[in-house]
Amino acid sequence: MFHWLERNPFFFAVGVFLVVAYAGVVTILPDFMESARPVVGTKPYSVLELAGRQIYIKDSCNACHSQLVRPFKSETDRYGMYSLSGEYAYDRPFLWGSKRTGPDLMRVGNYRTTDWHEYHMLNPKSVVPGSIMPAYKHMFKNNADIDTAYAEAYTVKTVFNVPYDKPDMPKLGTFDEAKKDAFEAAAVIVADMKSTEVKEAFKRGEIKEIVALVAYLNSLK
Amino acid sequence: MNWLNDNVNVLALMGAAAILILTIFVVGKYMRQMQNDKSSGELTKDNWDGIGEYKNPLPIGWALSFLGTIIWGLWYFLVGYPLNSYSQIGEYNEEVKSYNTHFESKFSNPDKTTLMGMGEGVFLVQCAPCHGVTGDGMNGKALNLSKWGNEDAVVATILNGAKGSDYPLGEMPAGLLDAESAKAVAAFMFKEISEVKNTKHPELIESGRALWATCAACHGDDGKGMAGSSPDLSTYGASKFVVNVLGMGKKGMIGNMPKFNDGRLTNVQKLAVGTYVNSLSK
Amino acid sequence: MQEKNALNYDYSVAKCFTYATILFGIIGMLIGVVIAYQMAFPQLNYLAGEYGTYSRLRPLHTSGVIFGFLLSGIFATWYYVGQRVLKVSMAESKFLMVVGKLHFWIYMITILTAVVTLFMGISTSKEYAELEWPLDIAVVVLWVLWGISIFGLVGIRREKTLYISMWYYIATFLGVAMLYLFNNMEVPTYFVSGYGKWYHSVSMYAGTNDAMVQWWYGHNAVAFVFTVPIIAMIYYFLPKESGQPVFSYKLSLLSFWGLMFVYLWAGGHHLLFSTVPDWVQTMGSIFSVILILPSWGSAINMLLTMKGQWGQLKENPLVKFMVLASTFYMLSTLEGPIQAIKSVNALAHFTDWIPGHVHDGTLGWVGFMTMAALFHMAPRMYKRELYSKKLMESQFWVQTTGIVMYFSSMWIAGITQGMMWRATDQYGNLAYSFIDTVTVLIPYYALRATGGLLYLVGFFMFTYNMYKTMTASKAIASEPQNASPMAA
Ligand code: HEC
Ligand code: HEC
Ligand code: HEC
Ligand code: HEM
Ligand code: HEM
Ligand SMILES: [Ca+2]
Ligand SMILES: [Ca+2]
Ligand SMILES: [Cu+2]
Repeated sequence: MFHWLERNPFFFAVGVFLVVAYAGVVTILPDFMESARPVVGTKPYSVLELAGRQIYIKDSCNACHSQLVRPFKSETDRYGMYSLSGEYAYDRPFLWGSKRTGPDLMRVGNYRTTDWHEYHMLNPKSVVPGSIMPAYKHMFKNNADIDTAYAEAYTVKTVFNVPYDKPDMPKLGTFDEAKKDAFEAAAVIVADMKSTEVKEAFKRGEIKEIVALVAYLNSLK
Repeated sequence: MNWLNDNVNVLALMGAAAILILTIFVVGKYMRQMQNDKSSGELTKDNWDGIGEYKNPLPIGWALSFLGTIIWGLWYFLVGYPLNSYSQIGEYNEEVKSYNTHFESKFSNPDKTTLMGMGEGVFLVQCAPCHGVTGDGMNGKALNLSKWGNEDAVVATILNGAKGSDYPLGEMPAGLLDAESAKAVAAFMFKEISEVKNTKHPELIESGRALWATCAACHGDDGKGMAGSSPDLSTYGASKFVVNVLGMGKKGMIGNMPKFNDGRLTNVQKLAVGTYVNSLSK
Repeated sequence: MQEKNALNYDYSVAKCFTYATILFGIIGMLIGVVIAYQMAFPQLNYLAGEYGTYSRLRPLHTSGVIFGFLLSGIFATWYYVGQRVLKVSMAESKFLMVVGKLHFWIYMITILTAVVTLFMGISTSKEYAELEWPLDIAVVVLWVLWGISIFGLVGIRREKTLYISMWYYIATFLGVAMLYLFNNMEVPTYFVSGYGKWYHSVSMYAGTNDAMVQWWYGHNAVAFVFTVPIIAMIYYFLPKESGQPVFSYKLSLLSFWGLMFVYLWAGGHHLLFSTVPDWVQTMGSIFSVILILPSWGSAINMLLTMKGQWGQLKENPLVKFMVLASTFYMLSTLEGPIQAIKSVNALAHFTDWIPGHVHDGTLGWVGFMTMAALFHMAPRMYKRELYSKKLMESQFWVQTTGIVMYFSSMWIAGITQGMMWRATDQYGNLAYSFIDTVTVLIPYYALRATGGLLYLVGFFMFTYNMYKTMTASKAIASEPQNASPMAA
C-alpha cells in the first residue's frame, strides 16, 4: 500500500498532511475556550502599561525572563503565588518565556518598586553586584510610543471584545482621552524617579520608554 | 550540600548519565557492526541516482521497543494516568503541607540563634537586592539598616521626620525637637517605652521623660501608637517593628519599600528577618 | 533510462543557496558566539549601543541560524537532490527555473529585511516566529514558491517512485506551511484603529491559548526544520557518498510514518507545569518517550548502511561528519525525551540544560549534516575536487571539541542552576538568592562561549575550503559516482 503512496505524490502529500494536522486538532482545540476565561479581578492593561509591554517585547526581555510561576514551593517562595490560566486572559502575545537567565517577573510588581527599577535598568550592577543583565540606557532617551499602544488597546477592544470601558474595567475612550490618562499615570511614576533627564522631558510632554516600562513592571502582580 | 536528598535532583543526574551511557552503548554497538560485519541482503529493484535499497527486515530490538513504547503509551494514557488522578496543584498543596508540618514543629519556638540564622538567609534572598548584602542600603538606594533601629536612628527621625507608611496620622514632621532634646527622648524611649529596655545614655532618661509629651501627641503616652494611628514605638528596636514594616511597606524620603504581604514569608520568617535586621545596627 | 543520455542537471539555484548558507551561517554563528560571551562578560553588551545588547541579538541569532543558515541549506540541497532523485533537470522547464530564481531572491530580501528589523527591535516576541506580519507575508510567498518548485519538479519527474529524501522534503514543506500560518495569525493594529505604527500587530490568541499554539509551532519547528529536512539530506548524501545501499526500506518506511505521526503530539513538553490542561502536558510527555524510536530508526538505518564500512569512516572525512551527525541526532533525541519526563523537566526547564540540548542537536546534527552535504555537492556543482582533505580533518576535530565543550558545560551549568533554585537551607528557606545562582555559572558560560568560538572557527575553515574548491581546486573530468574527490 505504501509503495502506492510513494508513486502518487498527491495522495502522499494528503496523507502526510492528515497525519500531521490531526494531533493539532486533538490537543489544541478542546480547551481553547476554557483557557481564555479571565480570573476574577484580572484587568486589561492600561495604555501606558501596554506601551511598556511593547518595549519589553522590543527589547526581548523575554529572552532572559520568564513570566510563569510553576506550582513548586521553591518558586512560590521566591516569586509568589503560582500562575493561573485566567491571569493571562489579556496577554497578547503571552510572555511566559522559556529561559530564566534572570528571575521570573510574573509578580515582580509585588516586590520591586519604581526607584529600584530606575537604578536597575540604568545599571544593574549598581543594585545587584555581579549581575549579567545589560543596562538599558537607551530607554532613558527614546520616547514611548503611546500611539501604537492605543492602537493595540483599541484593536483588542473592537476585535476581541476585551472589556475596556466596561464597569470596573480600565477606561480607554478616544485617543485624546487615552493619551491624557497615560500622561496622568506617567506623572505618578516620573515623580518617583530621580533622573532629571526623564523629568525634564516629561515637562516637555515626552514620556520616555523607561517610564512606560516601569508602569508595566509595576503592573505585574 | 544536601542536593542528593532531593529525588528530583537525583533523577535529573541519573537522566543525564542515562543519555550518555545509552547513546554510547547503542552507537558503540553499531560502530562494531561497521567494523566487523559485512553488509548483505537482497536489493530492491529501485535505484535513485545510484542509490540502492536493501529489503532487510526491521532490526528486532528496535521494532520491539517501538511496539513496547506504543503499548505503554496507550496503557498510560488510558489507564495509568486516569487511575493516578494526578493534579499538579494537588501535588503542590501536598508539598506545602508536608513542609509546613515539618517546619512548624521544628521551629515553633525558635531561639535567638535559630532566628538569626534563618533571618540572615531570608534577608539575603528577599532584601539584599535593595538593601545590599550587608544591609548598608547601597549608597542611599534603600535604607541603611546598619544605622536604623537604634537610638541614633530615633534622633535622626525626630530631626528629619518620617513618612510613607500611610498611617492615619500621616506624616511625622521634621524638627520636632533640637538635637540635644532628641537624644534625651531617644534615651527615655529606649529605656521605658521600647522592648529594648536599655539605653546607652541612662543619664538622659529623666530629661527625656519630660519631653515625651511631644511624642505622646501622636504615639500616645505609652508610645503604643494610639491603636494604629501611628507606629507602635514599644516594638521599636525589636523584630516586631520590622514585621510591621513588612506588612505596610513604606514610601519614604529615600524611596519605596514594598510590602511583603503576598504570603511568601511566614510569621516565623518575618520575625527572624526582623531579628536579623535589628542585629545589623547593634 | 540508463546513463546513455546522462542528464545535465542545472545547479544555478542550488549554488545561490549554497552561498546564502555560508553567508548566514557566518552571521548567525558569529552572533551566537557574541551572545555566548556576553553572558560571561556582560561588558560586551555595550559595543553597539542599543543594537548590541544581548536581548536584541538573541532573536537575531536564532532567526539567523534557523531561517538564514538552515533554511538556505535545506533549499540548496533541495535544488540539488530534487533533480537527481527525480531524474529530471531544472533546465527542462523554463517555468521552474524562473520560480527557483524568484524563490531565491525573495528569500534573500526577506531574510536581509528580517535582520535589519530585528536589530531595530521590531518583533512579536514569539520564539522562532518573531517577525512582524509584512515579513510573514513574504515568508508565505517564498514558501509557496518553494512548493511550486517541489511539486512542479515532481510533476515532470522521470523516476516514478519517490525516494525517501523526497518524502522528507515534502513533509517539511507541508508541516512548516501549516504551523507557520497558524502561529502567525495576528491583527495589524493600524488598519483597525488608524493610529500608531503601520507594521505593528497583535496576536489572535491570548495567554494560555497563545502558549499552546506557540509551542505546537515551536516544537514542530524543531521537527520540520531541524529534523525532517536533515533526515532528507542524510538519506541522500550518506548512501551516495559511501556507495552503500540504504540498509532497510522497511525501517525507512516505519520511521518516516512513525515520526510524522508521533512528533506533533509531543509539543506539550514545552509547557509542563504551566497553566495548560494537565492531559495535554501528559500527552506531551508520553509521546516524547515514544518519539525516541522513530527518531532512532532513521539514525540506526544510516549507521547500519555503513555496516562493514569502517574503513570509509577513517578515510573519508565526509562520511565521518555524517556518522557523527547521526550520533548526535541519537544523543539529542534521547536527551529530549528524558527532559520531557515531568520530574526531570521540573528541574531542567528554564535552565541552561535546555540550550545545551538545543545545541547537541543543532551543532552536532544539523550543522555537521549541512556542511557535509555542501561538501559533497561542491565537486559536482563546480566540477573541481575538494580543495583540502587535511583542512576538513582538522575542521572535524576543532568543531567536535567545540560541541563537547558546549554541551558538557551546559549540562553542568543547567543542572547546577536548577538545583540551586530549589535548594533550601536547614531552616527550610531558599538557600540562594537569584544572583548567587547566576555568578556560579559564569565559568561555564565562558567555557561554552569558547566551545562556540571553536565551532565558528571550524565554520571559517569550511568556508575557506569551499571557497578554494569553487575557485582554485583541480578540475575534474567527469562526475564522481560516489566518494567525493579531494586533494590531500
Ligand atoms: C542577559 C540576560 C538579561 C536580559 C536580556 C534582561 N535581564 Fe533582567 N535580569 C537578568 C539577571 C541575570 C537578573 C538577576 C540579577 C539582577 O537582578 O540584576 C535580572 C533581573 C531583573 C529584574 C529584577 C527581578 C528581581 O526579582 O530581582 C528585573 C525587574 C529585570 N531583570 C527586568 C528586565 C527587563 C525589563 C529587561 C528587558 C528590557 C531585562 N530584564 C533584560 C538578566 C537579563
Ligand atoms: C504629628 C504626629 C507625630 C509626632 C508628634 C511624632 N511622631 Fe513619630 N511618627 C509619626 C508617624 C505618622 C510615623 C510613621 C511614619 C511612616 O512611616 O509613615 C512616625 C514614625 C516614628 C518612628 C519610626 C520611624 C521609622 O524608622 O520608621 C519613630 C522612631 C518615631 N516616630 C518616634 C517619634 C518620637 C521620638 C517623637 C517625639 C519626638 C515622635 N515620633 C513624634 C507621627 C508622629
Ligand atoms: C524594592 C526594594 C526593597 C526591598 C526588596 C526591601 N526593602 Fe526595605 N526599604 C527599601 C527602601 C527604599 C527603604 C527606605 C524607605 C524610606 O524611608 O524612604 C526601606 C526601608 C526599610 C526599613 C525601615 C522602615 C522604616 O520604618 O523606616 C526596614 C526595617 C526594611 N526596609 C526592611 C526590609 C526587609 C526586612 C526586607 C526584606 C524582607 C526589605 N526591607 C526589602 C527598599 C526595599
Ligand atoms: C525525540 C526527540 C526530542 C524530544 C522529545 C525533545 C524534547 C525537548 C524538551 C523536553 C525540551 C525542553 C522544553 C523545556 O523545558 O523548555 C526541548 C527543547 C528544545 N529542543 Fe528538543 N527534543 C527532541 C529532539 C530535538 C532535536 C533533534 C533538536 C534539534 C536539532 C531539538 C531542539 C530543541 C530546541 C531548539 C529546544 C528549545 C525550545 C525552546 O526555545 O524552549 N530537540 N526538547
Ligand atoms: C557558533 C556556534 C553557536 C553558539 C556559540 C551559540 C550560542 C547560543 C547562545 C549563547 C544561545 C542562548 C542561550 C541562552 O538563552 O541561554 C543560543 C540559543 C540558540 N541557538 Fe545557538 N549558538 C551557536 C550555533 C547555533 C546553530 C548552528 C544553531 C542552529 C542551527 C543554533 C540554534 C539556537 C537555538 C534554536 C537557540 C534557542 C535555544 C532556546 O531558546 O532554548 N545555534 N545559541
Ligand atoms: Ca527558548
Ligand atoms: Ca509573525
Ligand atoms: Cu519540543
